[in-house]
Amino acid sequence: MNQITLVQAILLSIMALVVGIDMYLEFLFIFRPIIVSTLTGLILGDLRIGLITGALVELSFAGLTPVGGTQPPNPVLAAIMAPVIAHTSGIGANGALGLALPFSFLMQYIILFYYSSFSLFIPKLTAYAKKGEIKKYTRLACLTVMIVGITYAIIVFLCAYMAQEPMRILVDIMPGWLTNGFEVAGGILPAVGFAILLRMQFKIEYTPYLILGFLLASFLQFGNLLPVALAGAAIAMYQFFEEYKKIKAPASGRANLEYVEEDYSNGI
Amino acid sequence: MAYDKTLTKKDIDGLAFRTSLIQACFTFERGLGIGWTYVLSSCLKKIYKDDEEKLAEALEDNMAYMSTNLTAAAFLAGLIAAAEEDKTDRDIPNNLRLALFGPLAGIGDALLWFTVLPIVAGICSSFASQGNVLGPILFFVIYVGIFLARIPLARLGYSLGTKTIGHIKDLSNLVTRAAATLGITVIGGLIASFVSINVVASIPVSEGYEISLQTDFFDNILPNILPLGYTLLMFYLLKYKKINPVCLILITFFLAIVCSFFGIL
Repeated sequence: MNQITLVQAILLSIMALVVGIDMYLEFLFIFRPIIVSTLTGLILGDLRIGLITGALVELSFAGLTPVGGTQPPNPVLAAIMAPVIAHTSGIGANGALGLALPFSFLMQYIILFYYSSFSLFIPKLTAYAKKGEIKKYTRLACLTVMIVGITYAIIVFLCAYMAQEPMRILVDIMPGWLTNGFEVAGGILPAVGFAILLRMQFKIEYTPYLILGFLLASFLQFGNLLPVALAGAAIAMYQFFEEYKKIKAPASGRANLEYVEEDYSNGI
Repeated sequence: MAYDKTLTKKDIDGLAFRTSLIQACFTFERGLGIGWTYVLSSCLKKIYKDDEEKLAEALEDNMAYMSTNLTAAAFLAGLIAAAEEDKTDRDIPNNLRLALFGPLAGIGDALLWFTVLPIVAGICSSFASQGNVLGPILFFVIYVGIFLARIPLARLGYSLGTKTIGHIKDLSNLVTRAAATLGITVIGGLIASFVSINVVASIPVSEGYEISLQTDFFDNILPNILPLGYTLLMFYLLKYKKINPVCLILITFFLAIVCSFFGIL
């Protein structure tokens, strides 16, 4: 059992300011859990727990992407709170992920609120654009970035510093089957993330590749997924070059046209 | 296109760096419109330097709703800068932007969010879960590289101008399909490596002898059969029953806790 000191809480909230802005802008991807949890672990003086929770949170959030302007449960808060909870309460990484999720939902709703309410700035921005005042325009647009960053800093400070005592008490009074339930859920949770990825990408004609990847990883006793990725890349390249030849090769322009039309219907 | 070039290579590279702020002031109302206008504003100012009215018009046009993949946005910014530089007709940059932000979002997201991210996250997480700090470092380096790729993308967009849009669409279909093949293979691997469901229950057969459901039954059929089955069930519920992902997360928790209570998992 460890305490989060005031200094650690302040460091965490400074980190949250930076990665929160990165999350909002999707700029360097230092907002991804694998980075954020590691940094959190460093600040807490427990790098190992940071790495392990980071890997777990990263994969659980792999499918929860902000594509198309939708806002998924917030990965930054989950990535900070999972190692914080593991560090202060002594619960395992899987269980800590479960307990960190409410914080992640909280932040998701705050960001959703901003996505709507920042519309209030648009009349002012339009007025600047009409006068060609680019500097003022830029300053106002950047103000929204700072608002988001500072919100992250405040929320993380409150969650990590003020909530640690209630969290610890909660973990202490949880019966064994409940703690185990959280651990089990943490282990299954990546399935939801992968299912979301499949929903975005999967078509029935891709089934062979899913089976291939699954079998390779099940029977290749190897620490990481690089061999599986290379096998996938080999097939993808073969496919690409075959199709490319078809586009380049056709004898008449007519055939070419037909092929392209057919190709569009398969587009995403 | 035959016109006087006012933009330099430096301006185009500047576009790439400015895309780092493209999501500033993101709203549901305008999408990336506000940040997108910031990205182009430096070039627009240079193009319309002695015509305040035209500058205001160009800025306001670009503020309209648009939404695309942020990395692909660098390519689009280069392309639109070329079209704006032409100065003949406001419809050309406007229509190009409207026509292309959607398809570029499609190919960019398919490549970066659904192919590159699962692969990089999967490989780096397998290092990190063993306590190896190489995982996050590798992840960081790769994503800095992906950010820097916006510079050549902006240059490519600018140099292509409006000439070869058709060709880009042809190729983008091929690339998208190849990316999906690679992505799906890796997702198959991720399911086997990172979803863990371990049944602890066992069936007593006779006095002092019991069959462990996990090692004697499921593992004998196919290793990782439960993770595969559960993932496919989640996929089915998402795709065909349109169940919200957050809902599935909560269901998973509920099931896990119930199974834990009864000593199954």
